[in-house]
Amino acid sequence: MEQKILKKEDIGKLYNEFSSEYKFYAPIKQKGNIVFERIENPDDIVLDYLNSRIPPKSILFPQMEVLFEYKLDDKDVEITDRQDLDEKFMIFGIRPCDAYSYELFANFFSFHGNWKDEIYLKKKENTTLIGIGCNTPRSTCFCTSVGGHPFNKENMDVFLTDLGETYLVEAISDKGKEIVKKLSWLSDAADKDVKKSEELAKKAEESFVTQIDVDTIVKNLEKSFDHPVWDEISEVCIGCGSCSYLCPTCTCFDVIDETDQYNNKGRRVRIWDTCQSCLYTLETSGHNPRDTKIQRCRNRIMHKFSYYPANYDLLGCVGCGRCIMVCPANNDLRDHLAKIEKIGKEEKEEKAVV
Amino acid sequence: MSNPYIPYLTRVKSIVTENKVNDIKTVELEFKNEEDYKKFDYIPGQFAEISIIGKGECPIGIASSPTEEGTIKFTIKKMGTVTSAFHASELGDIVGVRGPCGNGWPIEEMKGKNIVVIGGGFAFSTLRSLVLYLLDEKHRKDYGDITVIYGNRDPGEVLYKDVLDEWKKRDDIKVVLTIDREAEGWTEEVGFVAPIVKKVAPSPDNAIAVVCGPPIMIKTTIAVMEELNWGPEAILNSLEARMKCGIGKCGRCNIGNKFICTDGPVFSLAELKELPDEY
Repeated sequence: MEQKILKKEDIGKLYNEFSSEYKFYAPIKQKGNIVFERIENPDDIVLDYLNSRIPPKSILFPQMEVLFEYKLDDKDVEITDRQDLDEKFMIFGIRPCDAYSYELFANFFSFHGNWKDEIYLKKKENTTLIGIGCNTPRSTCFCTSVGGHPFNKENMDVFLTDLGETYLVEAISDKGKEIVKKLSWLSDAADKDVKKSEELAKKAEESFVTQIDVDTIVKNLEKSFDHPVWDEISEVCIGCGSCSYLCPTCTCFDVIDETDQYNNKGRRVRIWDTCQSCLYTLETSGHNPRDTKIQRCRNRIMHKFSYYPANYDLLGCVGCGRCIMVCPANNDLRDHLAKIEKIGKEEKEEKAVV
Repeated sequence: MSNPYIPYLTRVKSIVTENKVNDIKTVELEFKNEEDYKKFDYIPGQFAEISIIGKGECPIGIASSPTEEGTIKFTIKKMGTVTSAFHASELGDIVGVRGPCGNGWPIEEMKGKNIVVIGGGFAFSTLRSLVLYLLDEKHRKDYGDITVIYGNRDPGEVLYKDVLDEWKKRDDIKVVLTIDREAEGWTEEVGFVAPIVKKVAPSPDNAIAVVCGPPIMIKTTIAVMEELNWGPEAILNSLEARMKCGIGKCGRCNIGNKFICTDGPVFSLAELKELPDEY
């Protein structure tokens, strides 16, 4: 593996190499939060962040996205497909959990036979990820419990490690090797740099306090659809949907037509939607398959930890902890999972007492 | 690959008002491009996402049979924004169509079996498609006896009177029509669907039943069929849900780990018993 060193002051140089070929996105500070934005000034880039508030899913799956545009004639309609899907994206400074979420998105959007979501998949194909390891995971992070790691390089093209004064640069994929080749001005990494990055990875891994037994949870959920635990889990939820809007693996969307009546044209758009909203499943007849909060809270957790494993043999959670961070009612997914993990055990203990 | 959200464009070729209160219409659509029509290769029981572009899109079962070549038909009840826009549409208007979506009736597995079609009210559209398909001269020999039991609130609500009249003239299909309570001029059965099914008592031997209608009708009918010794594998339902994409992406039509739009809408009663009761 080729390992190089990038000086912190040279990030602008790296940006200049790629900003004309790629739509270059990176984390910046905005109104006190870290968000991924298209970069105009590389001095804005912030890499020593803990995690962005809005996940970078918003780059490839924006909160509002045009599916196609239309022109309405008196007795005719003209449809124009998206013309921008060949544009190339470079996402700089993405964390391993968020990089993995793109894989989950691509997996979900290419499922179901001939119906592939070309809009997302094309963008994903044209995206290069220059990610960075997490030296200091947040207290809400639990990626190691769901199969991830703060230094997971698998889904990256190029991987950076913050060594203090410099970044260690590793080319991971073929695409990444081409990128590193273009940065011919990078200096070679010394053995001590590589060793330091390994130590940082180990230290980060050891800093996790959360240990969740996901296998038991997946198994318990298979037979817990009607378990009273859902009453408890949904009790303090206020149904705002923040947990799912800001979840990097939540893919649900609504579709509406936006028509400019005065100019006889418009666009069909998709907008982030959430299974936590009671309108989400409300049918025109008035019937609603999930009209209670218990059902909606259950659906969110079942989807990620039961339906996802059943359908794709994957977990629908990357352990980023955003749902814990943003919940205005202090709901903590880790507590919910701990309750689910206990389901079988408690019953056994009760039996033992009797 | 191509953008799966872009509809084929069709034009309204005919509009038929199906009921006396005038809230159900059947719209016949002709594809603008012959090529698109060829790509729209469907079987009975599938649905499509149809749209009045500028107003929105909604999932509707295909009421025509693939054996009725040249056009496709949808029976639409005026309910919300999009269906109201359909009711306001005129001949020649453009309609967007995406699909066909969903699995459809298992016409291959049904071969060699007696078929019992039980419908209630407005839910008869994909049953119309199925029966027309079964009765087509190319397919009739592949299937055994065909029995249709179709119930409505009153005579004014009976859909597809023209095809029903044709079926009644044939000797290779038994058609039983019923209405909830007696009405002037009505000479056929009177009573809810479930007791009429009990009276007709279709045999479960080597048979498949297709049951579509309002939830209460389905519930009572299935109870009767269980009394008649029908097994859950032989009873098929078609489910509905709020849908946006119709192609397994927008998320909202799941029952457990299944999506009604891509795994269904047709499920056997045996399959439904395995799924959570959340539909």
